[in-house]
Amino acid sequence: MASAFTTLINRPFASWSQDKRQLWATILLTAVFAIYPLLTDDDSNIDTIANAMSYATLALGLNIVVGFAGLLDLGYAAFFAIGAYYYGIFTAYQIMPPWSEAWAPLAYVGLVEKINQGGPDLVHFTLSFWLALPTGALVAGFFGVLFGAPTLKLRGDYLAIVTLGFGEIVPILARNMESVTNGAAGLNGVKGPTIPAIKAFGFDGYSFGVAATPYYYVGMVLVAILVFSSIRLRDSRIGRAWMAVREDETAASAMGINLRNFKLLAFAIGASFSGFTGVFFVSKLQVATPEMFNFSVSSMLIVMVVLGGMGSVWGVVLGAGLLQLLQTWILPQTTNVLHDIGHAIGSDILIAADLVQWTQMFFGIIIVVMMLFRRDGLIPATRTQPKLEMEEQQADVKRGGFVNVDRIEKWNPGTGNALEIKDVTVRFGGLVALNKVNLTVPAGGVIAVIGPNGSGKSTLFNAITGLVPAEGSIKFEGMELIGLRPDEVLEKGVARTFQNIRLFPKLTVLENVLIGQHCRLKTLPFGAIFRPPAAKAEEAGALRKALDIIGLFGNRLTPRANHMVAGLSYANRRRVEVSRALASRPRILLLDEPTAGMNPNETLELAEQIGELNAMGLTILIIEHKLDVVTRLANRVTVLDHGDVIAEGTANEVQRNEEVLTAYLGRAHRAKIEAQDAAAKENANG
Amino acid sequence: MTLGDLWLQQLINGLNLGAMYSLLALGFTLVYCIMELINFSHFNVFMVGAFIALGVLKLMGMDGQSVILTGLPLIGVLTLTFLITMFSSGMIGVGIERLLLRPLRAVTGPAAMILTIGVSYILFNIILIGIGGDTRNFANPLPSVAWNIGGAVLRMRDVLIWGITIVLMLGLTYFVQYTKLGKGMRATAQDPEAARMMGVEVDNVVALSFFIGSALAGASGLIFGLYYNYAKVDMGFAAGLRAFTAAVLGGIGNVPGAMLGGVLIGLIESGSSQLIGQLWADVVIFSILVIVLVFRPAGLLGRQAPNKS
Repeated sequence: MASAFTTLINRPFASWSQDKRQLWATILLTAVFAIYPLLTDDDSNIDTIANAMSYATLALGLNIVVGFAGLLDLGYAAFFAIGAYYYGIFTAYQIMPPWSEAWAPLAYVGLVEKINQGGPDLVHFTLSFWLALPTGALVAGFFGVLFGAPTLKLRGDYLAIVTLGFGEIVPILARNMESVTNGAAGLNGVKGPTIPAIKAFGFDGYSFGVAATPYYYVGMVLVAILVFSSIRLRDSRIGRAWMAVREDETAASAMGINLRNFKLLAFAIGASFSGFTGVFFVSKLQVATPEMFNFSVSSMLIVMVVLGGMGSVWGVVLGAGLLQLLQTWILPQTTNVLHDIGHAIGSDILIAADLVQWTQMFFGIIIVVMMLFRRDGLIPATRTQPKLEMEEQQADVKRGGFVNVDRIEKWNPGTGNALEIKDVTVRFGGLVALNKVNLTVPAGGVIAVIGPNGSGKSTLFNAITGLVPAEGSIKFEGMELIGLRPDEVLEKGVARTFQNIRLFPKLTVLENVLIGQHCRLKTLPFGAIFRPPAAKAEEAGALRKALDIIGLFGNRLTPRANHMVAGLSYANRRRVEVSRALASRPRILLLDEPTAGMNPNETLELAEQIGELNAMGLTILIIEHKLDVVTRLANRVTVLDHGDVIAEGTANEVQRNEEVLTAYLGRAHRAKIEAQDAAAKENANG
Repeated sequence: MTLGDLWLQQLINGLNLGAMYSLLALGFTLVYCIMELINFSHFNVFMVGAFIALGVLKLMGMDGQSVILTGLPLIGVLTLTFLITMFSSGMIGVGIERLLLRPLRAVTGPAAMILTIGVSYILFNIILIGIGGDTRNFANPLPSVAWNIGGAVLRMRDVLIWGITIVLMLGLTYFVQYTKLGKGMRATAQDPEAARMMGVEVDNVVALSFFIGSALAGASGLIFGLYYNYAKVDMGFAAGLRAFTAAVLGGIGNVPGAMLGGVLIGLIESGSSQLIGQLWADVVIFSILVIVLVFRPAGLLGRQAPNKS
């Protein structure tokens, strides 16, 4: 009884599902904001909130670039400027080329009008606000791609400085290109939105003018649209790909994500959010000057995102709101209070105090404090992790491979050779890491690669999967792999795991496995946002498949499906990595020391599971140091030393090869083999 | 002035700018090669350095360009100003590292870089609120001795700026190449973990690199004041970006590269001012930044950064 009571007091809606709680919270929030202008007469408050909304939309756009995709863009205001100038140029009275008949068709559709201010006839652009919103987003998105294309190859910190430079160049251009932008004086008299008359309904049309309320509602709709789009994108194939890129570019690429396209997409979508807002902002202010878009705007947006939480949609909205509150209410009010106290106690310092001057100081302090003490922001993007029940935490090491195997589709290995590696050479500067290596993996077989550390085993895998450039020929089912990007190699059906586990540590088990399916899914941004039936079905199918795959490991992963990978045990992370590779539905699986760091029991378990995968028809190429695993699994073994193949044959053959014993296995192993052979001989004789 | 004279004059101007940018670029490069961190607070350590120098000169009785010194008094005043400015700026750098960046050393991702943006903001506003945002006349005791070379004018201050810069660079090169601490620094730059195991006190090396970088930024701020005769709170942004471009152009993490890059950027700035106008100089410089990063990310002399894989 008591506990039910405290539950009711502390968490009154605990019995609701999380989705239901979120839905109602959103509805309530929307209602409060929708009603607010009706309750107040103070236009300045409404105006302030409308401004906060435009900052929120900007911050949401920046959040896609910085928070989702992890691309630190310090010149984000440039796209804001592009949107703003786009609308400004096409409505203001400063930019008016001379009239000629060539403009007549545009005048006919209402985009321009002929005016005369005493002198020759001029063209006045009359772009509609409603048309400018989406086209402004497109224009800014186009510039996003244009700026992004050459720079996105760069490492994160270089990108920051290049975007900072871009952010600097755009206001300079706005200032210097006077014939288009009216220079430093800027554009003024930018037209506010109008709603055209609809005579049939007796509606005479409406002009927004300078009243704050209509902008408030438009701003609210914009925030709603962008929050909705952000959440939908985040929870889709697109959002997962961005987060994978943010966490580990190499692994993301090896898991089938086209780095260039997805970075550009983030840049373009972020830029178009910004262009969208630029149109809105300039129509509200009705002026555009170069100073409105300098570094201080970009950095204020960074502060909003950092404060709210990078990657957290509601967080950045909150961050934008709080900063606006700080600037327009908290600091002026506190200043007034200080003045009152100053007058009361006669302190000149307090009377002269003006905290509004300190706004940027507070920005700096907010950044430093958040980075030192709360890097995930006020509303962290990572969700709380469900607690595990006692029995969910227990899993016995057992023999016999997977459970619920029947839920996984079998493979048809085909015939002939799956992988044919011919004369592959890899050089790092003067060092030859692989020297004319030849290796063949028959379809449906298990081939092991062994050799001392530094012998080129992992380099071989990197060459196959496109992570290092190689000479020679690597053919997979007849298709040449050399020259392909890692994501293209994966798409062809070659999946891998890494020697030193490269999962996406801050994502959940399920998300990691879903990212593995990336190249087999097709949802594009449009589908991700609007979720047509096809996209919905695809996502549901992907989720089911992911659960089936982690279900193979029984009680190990399934209860932890929504846990961050960073918190898993070593062996479980290995299992997730195998699951992630399987999720891409490969035709050959490359395992790089899959049992490294596992105890003997876990090793045995995983070895049997690998054997079972092979039995289901999956071709496997494995690097392994543990000889018992190799002996148990491999049909044939290739031994590498210093980049050369020194032996090739069955596990039994290579163990007895003199060169292999010298280079790799060592004297102890020789003694063991000799003892075994002697015992076998004795048995045969006796 | 003939065209040749104009270009000679721009060469002189460019070398002055280059001296300033080189010193500033060294700070970016030193911190980057030790920690692989772009230190945005460096922009405003430079600015604060200029104000410290202004304050020191004022304390010694200089006021605008009214007090002119020659001979030993000039050398004494300048030496003292440089020493105090460089030491104070250096200590600001050490403070930033010790108090704010050290707790983030083990944190991966952009947190440390974002933090330095915040620090930069704070430094900016300390000066803005404490001293004001207007242009300050710089206290400048240099006599206006100048020589005519054809139509171009070579002022004594130009020669002085070059001289001081060369001395500082030689000092730094000697320190990095031949002293024990300098060797520890280079070792840390290559592999912090191995350096630590070989007995290099990595914490001290990091603090030292911040000290040297910030001290050079302070010297650069003082040179800015002596050259332009003013100091202003927003002077750090443009100069810092150009200096960073210089560091990247030379190959970030590479000490001679920063010196070379700085001089090149200075010359490019004065040259493009001459050719297409001051308004477009920044556009040219940032375009170079983008082009270098895209086509030769290692810079002219090659990038040297710690081996964090």
